[in-house]
Amino acid sequence: MADQGIGEHLQHIGETRVSRRGFLAASGFTAMSAYLAACGGGGSAPALFMYNWADYVDLDNIAEFKKRFNISDANFTYDTYPSNEELFAKLQGGATGQYDICCPTAEWTPALVEEGFLEKIDWSKVPNAKYINPQFKGLWWDPNDEYQLPKDWGTTGISMRTKVVTEDVRTWKDFFDIAPKYSGRIVIVDSPGDVFTAPLKALGYSLNSVVPEELEQARELLMGLAPHVLALNSDTYEEPMKTEEAVLGLTWTGGIDELISDPSTADTKYVIPEDGTLYWMDTWVILKGAPHLEMAHNWLNFIHEPEIQARETETNAYATPNDEAKKYIDPAILADTTIFVPQEVVDSGLLEAAKDVSLDPLRQEIWEQFKSSIGG
Amino acid sequence: MAAAAPAAEVRPRAATAPGPSRLVTALLVLPAGLWYLFLLVLPIAIVLLFSVGNRGETGGYAGGFTLDNYQGAFRNSGPFVTSLYLAIAGTLLCLLIGLPLAYFIATRGGRRKTLFIILLVVPFWTSFLIRTYAWLILLGRDGLAGVGVDLTGNDAFRLLGTDAAVLLGLTYGYLPLMVFPLYVTLERMDRTLVEASKDLGAGRWATFRQVTLPIALPGLITGSILVFIPMMGEYVVPQILGYGQTFTIGSALVLRFLEFRDWPAGSAMAVGLIFIMFVTITFYLWFTNRGRRGREQSVV
Repeated sequence: MADQGIGEHLQHIGETRVSRRGFLAASGFTAMSAYLAACGGGGSAPALFMYNWADYVDLDNIAEFKKRFNISDANFTYDTYPSNEELFAKLQGGATGQYDICCPTAEWTPALVEEGFLEKIDWSKVPNAKYINPQFKGLWWDPNDEYQLPKDWGTTGISMRTKVVTEDVRTWKDFFDIAPKYSGRIVIVDSPGDVFTAPLKALGYSLNSVVPEELEQARELLMGLAPHVLALNSDTYEEPMKTEEAVLGLTWTGGIDELISDPSTADTKYVIPEDGTLYWMDTWVILKGAPHLEMAHNWLNFIHEPEIQARETETNAYATPNDEAKKYIDPAILADTTIFVPQEVVDSGLLEAAKDVSLDPLRQEIWEQFKSSIGG
Repeated sequence: MAAAAPAAEVRPRAATAPGPSRLVTALLVLPAGLWYLFLLVLPIAIVLLFSVGNRGETGGYAGGFTLDNYQGAFRNSGPFVTSLYLAIAGTLLCLLIGLPLAYFIATRGGRRKTLFIILLVVPFWTSFLIRTYAWLILLGRDGLAGVGVDLTGNDAFRLLGTDAAVLLGLTYGYLPLMVFPLYVTLERMDRTLVEASKDLGAGRWATFRQVTLPIALPGLITGSILVFIPMMGEYVVPQILGYGQTFTIGSALVLRFLEFRDWPAGSAMAVGLIFIMFVTITFYLWFTNRGRRGREQSVV
């Protein structure tokens, strides 16, 4: 990257195909641009205001949607948030009524429902929901399938540059064991739910545990790891991995699969730990007080049209829950086990769904202690 | 928050003259008054109120009265100490670089003065965030750190994620805020005073200490406060250049508001931050003024 200009680098940060945890700055513009759009929108002209992770929808699909439903550029907004925590905080801060749809990770849905932030989906307007694999329906997040339409899903795992990390890392336990050897070259996503997965699974507990004794053991593992961590980074963790500044990571698959397919970093490897890990699912939801309720439903239906959805998967490089769409996806992507978890792994029960335990006081205390201790 | 300190100085004096001039004064003060009321007084009042409340079931604020938040906010003094250390070190660095620079431009700048000032302002044409990201590349493995790896042969050598990188970013970002007030005071300095001092037998150091420095003092105080306050609450630079390894009050505040959704705990911590800044700045003003009085007496 030495020959890359600053502009190009920033553009890369902004446009990285798969980095859904977006650019820090983008969130600052959100409320304002939605407001301006609302002003400029003018009465009943077709419009859609979306609040989403950065770069999380294929641009051609957006263009197609605007064309099909006759939406002008000014009437389509795409504002971004960098984390579920921030999405929730912004909604609590009064951002409801400004947006039609957003895209939280599924375990946040119950809290969003409880706060009254979500509108029930009128399924008669979303016939394409029939393509969703039953495996992703009726989950505890939304037991009666009232509020959420699955968008895509993936895992949290261990990524490494095998050129430097030569050990055969298969489990979270291995990860903790070799961490001291790669001290100062470990990057970890800045997301407590994902980070707690590692020690709890290494110890053989549920990743959603709020049992004090289990969390105390997890604290010990985490605090042992902290001095060796280079950075907590959800936005661009693939960047230090690319330059070998970091060689070991607790990451999602986004960005990592890019490294794998790039010849100069093809030694990158992503492992789903054999002691079990978290699987996450992002979902489309409609916000209460959505100014364009009808159009929001149109979007949900549009985005799960098989061919449109296939393009989504190819752009975002996260697995789709839409079975029909798989027929249109590039076979190379379909065969990529980083993106589409092999069926035997799914069947083995290694994957555990996350619950929202982010408000547990002990978890918060441990998380702050860990976060303020990284790098030693 | 940055407005907190100057507020005391800018506070309008009541007009004493009767008649229309009083109306004019009121009109002149109105915009600033409204600004301070709605964007300083009111927010601080809200923060104070929240800081003694309880967290809602799913986060946010739920009313009530408790002092637990303050207990929680100060249980771990780490972030406060880190921020204080960074802000003091950063201010000193700005001073060390800014004073000679301002002195040079003001006294030796000649016809190029305007050019130098424009050069100082140019970075502000780009957003602070973008400029900080630019350092990410300069200090990264493809930049200076890469050179460091080659020189030391240590494959884990790095600059990003260290206090040094954070201090560099802070000093770089806020240096102009130190230079401008210093430049203004030094530029207006009567050069004949320096000559008089030398004529009277004072050496360079004595002249600097007894003539130049006291004249530059108001600019020095303003500059120091202008850089100290934002450094104290800084979040972006430690986060980006420090890789989050330098855990500041800013980081702790973001954690409380956006991750823990615990507005009362965050508010209590914010009140703590305001309090610490208040104490530090009061002490600083008292100290520098005392110094000035002392010197004036010794000269007389």
